[in-house]
Amino acid sequence: ENILHYTDTIQPSPRVAMAKDPLAEAGFYFDELNKLRVLEPDVSQKTSELKEECKEFVDKIVQFQNIVGGLIELVDELAKEAETEKMKAIGARNLLKSVAKQREAQQQQLQALIAEKKMQLERYRIEYEALSKVESEQNEFIDQFILQK
Amino acid sequence: MTLFITQLHKELVSCVGWTTADELYSCSEDHQILKWNLLTNETTLVVRLPEDIYPVDLHWFPKTAGGKKQNQSEIFVLTSTDGKLHLASKLGRIEKSVEAHKGAVLAGRWNFDGTALITAGEDGQIKIWSKSGMLRSTLASQGSPVYSVAWGPDSDRILYTSGRQLVIKPLQPSAKVTQWKAHDGLVLKVDWNSVNDLILSGGEDCKYKVWDSFGRLLYSSSSHDYPITSLSWAPDGEVFSVGSFNTLRLCDKTGWSYALEKPNTGSVFSLAWSADGTQLAGACGNGHVIFAHVVEQHWEWKNFMITLTKRRTMQVRNVMNDAVDMLEFRDRVIKASLAYGHLVVATSLQCYVYKNWNTPLIFDLKEGTVSLILQAEKHFLLVDGAGLYIFSYEGRFISSPKFPGMRPDILNAQGVSLSNDIVAIRDKSDEKVVFLFDTLTGKALGDGKPLTHKLEVVEVALDQCGPSTKRKIALIDKNRDLHLTSVRHLGRDPKICKIGSMVHNMVWNDTANILCGVQDSQLTVWYYPSVVFVDKDLLPKTLYIKDGSEFNRTPRILSFVGTKVTLRQGDGSLIYSSVLPYPALLHEYSTSARWEDALRLCRFAKARHLPISLYVLLSVPMKTLLFLHIVFLPRVQYINYIKERPSKESSLAHMLLFSGQVQEAEATLLQAGLTYQAIQVNIDLFNWERALELAVKHKTHVDTVLAYRQKFLEKFGRKETNKRFLQYAEGVEVDWEKIQGKIESELSKEREKAGNTSVRSSAASRR
Repeated sequence: ENILHYTDTIQPSPRVAMAKDPLAEAGFYFDELNKLRVLEPDVSQKTSELKEECKEFVDKIVQFQNIVGGLIELVDELAKEAETEKMKAIGARNLLKSVAKQREAQQQQLQALIAEKKMQLERYRIEYEALSKVESEQNEFIDQFILQK
Repeated sequence: MTLFITQLHKELVSCVGWTTADELYSCSEDHQILKWNLLTNETTLVVRLPEDIYPVDLHWFPKTAGGKKQNQSEIFVLTSTDGKLHLASKLGRIEKSVEAHKGAVLAGRWNFDGTALITAGEDGQIKIWSKSGMLRSTLASQGSPVYSVAWGPDSDRILYTSGRQLVIKPLQPSAKVTQWKAHDGLVLKVDWNSVNDLILSGGEDCKYKVWDSFGRLLYSSSSHDYPITSLSWAPDGEVFSVGSFNTLRLCDKTGWSYALEKPNTGSVFSLAWSADGTQLAGACGNGHVIFAHVVEQHWEWKNFMITLTKRRTMQVRNVMNDAVDMLEFRDRVIKASLAYGHLVVATSLQCYVYKNWNTPLIFDLKEGTVSLILQAEKHFLLVDGAGLYIFSYEGRFISSPKFPGMRPDILNAQGVSLSNDIVAIRDKSDEKVVFLFDTLTGKALGDGKPLTHKLEVVEVALDQCGPSTKRKIALIDKNRDLHLTSVRHLGRDPKICKIGSMVHNMVWNDTANILCGVQDSQLTVWYYPSVVFVDKDLLPKTLYIKDGSEFNRTPRILSFVGTKVTLRQGDGSLIYSSVLPYPALLHEYSTSARWEDALRLCRFAKARHLPISLYVLLSVPMKTLLFLHIVFLPRVQYINYIKERPSKESSLAHMLLFSGQVQEAEATLLQAGLTYQAIQVNIDLFNWERALELAVKHKTHVDTVLAYRQKFLEKFGRKETNKRFLQYAEGVEVDWEKIQGKIESELSKEREKAGNTSVRSSAASRR
């Protein structure tokens, strides 16, 4: 919008054309400091104003670029972080799945070991029973022996 | 079982093999062969194989073969996936590579004497090679891969897998092949032990099974979680190991499991025992090599309980007062035995003998690997790969019996028996033969002729007590019949008497000559087995039978000490049974000739079998007394008849007759010049031909024989058909009165003679 406005004012004003200053007709003008100029003072002023504004504009653009650059960087960083988080999540999910499997395997192993121990226990139980029986037999024998005497 | 696992291979380890008791070679798919020294814990790279060799199986040349030629025993066979068979030296240099099979060579095994090598391949072929790697023959060929192969104990048969089946094929082309379905999945591994002759198999149905060499199933495990990938017999055949995914198991030869470990190893592809049977190595799927040691073995005797707590440490516990002693050894314990108040421990280099737990007697062993220790009251016996040695408990070497063709490496406790004076060893090449040696000299007993049974002998056992002259040996033969015979049989053929059938195993008592056996599934105790030599009808009356309902599956007797019998059941549990102390006491009284005490014991105990035992142990006059006690009238009458015999010789002869020794009785009579009596004995036994023969030979009493024969034939209403009798009947006239007169005169002659020479005495005074 600004740019459009400046282009409008660049057109020669009707007032200048009416004065019909011979100097002006020749294309010469005096400025406030009475220095001879080949450019209309209005135009010159407007030009310098334009120049100023352009500079300002460029500055703003640079600033804008900086800001946008920072933003992009930030977003990139965020994306990266999101990616790693995502990978972590996937990993964790997989780990969770495998832990279940691992537990299953561990359980299987422990169960095998328990079964083994149970078998051993059963063997000990049988042994204990046999020994108890021998003990009772021997006690009976001793009782009998004493009685007979 | 203690384990330690180490990883140095980068890839799956496919095979392992021991060179000595402490050095192992392992091969992996990373093409490396590593050497593991367990003494120094060092592992060195032996060789890096070419990139195209992926090893499958490794087997060292057997140590026992060609022992003198050291250089030859230092090679091993390596088979690979490219169908080649490699012979490599100890340094890893491949001496020879042979194109053996199409596809991978899955197994390569030396036979026991190292004269042949067998390979089995993916192409389903089985090939036999010479020691130097020359093809001898293709033994078998089938459509499916042969995953595993094993040699039979005598190297005359092989066992291999054929899909779900097992095949035993003799090397002789015409001999019969045995084949049976073994598993519900592919059979992956087999092994055959030379000491106990048992077969192991494991397969994809996740089970392992134990078979005898006839293919009869002895044990089948429950299903595991993963296929059985490896199994291996310990050299002495007492235990075996089984490998599967993350699993290592140690089992008894009867199949039940001692221990289970779940190491993180992946599948165990190959298992190998060191030659002394104390260490086990496994090749693992994840590049590990696993080592295991067998510990926690137990020995029990009376009130002492010994446990091998570590490889070099034993704990002795006296259960009477809970006192604990620790025994430390310099080297690894290989074998131990506890009996007769002595502990004998064989380590890899020395032998320790303990009487008390403080100061053992130590002596060095020649060869490290003792495979068997047997004990008797006065000495003990060690068996190693080279021979059989008898030592006193003072550590003095006594003797080393040997016979041609002896294979000490495969002797087991069933085939050898030791007593204070005699060693019995069953021959391996002819199992009917039992060699007997004098313990003190190591020389063959008597005339050097071994004892020969009519059937293959499975188990031998010598009795442990009493004088050497009365030493008896008990044999179990292939039909599971139990026989008893005297070890010292003066020149004559030994009289082998059957005393039981369906006997699975037996053990003599340590303090008295009482035999105990597992018969069918019951426990039988022969209180006085020798009774069979006197009167076998009495044998059943001296038995004590314990009902087998309390035992599950066939139990095995481990020991019979004092009155305690220890048995191991099929599931591995120990059970105990006690027998009455009276018979042992009776044996003791009879050896010390305390007859009065013995008789009192009989009256006191009121057990029926006791008087019979005593009767056998006693002399004749006492016997009469006892016989009245147990009411065996005919026998008592006969004994009285014996006592009334006019002469000593005659009594003796009848005593022999009483115990069924007819020929000896006749010989005794003839020797004493009592021809008539000898003839009469034969007549009484209806032994007509012999009676006539004697009569004709001595030209006397021919008419007597003919008269009795006639009477006998008339009684049964039959006619004479015997040609000899017809021939003699022609010339002789039978006159009963004359014959009676002759008999009377013979008897009076005998009486006179006896009266002249000696006072009438008991015939059995000699017994």
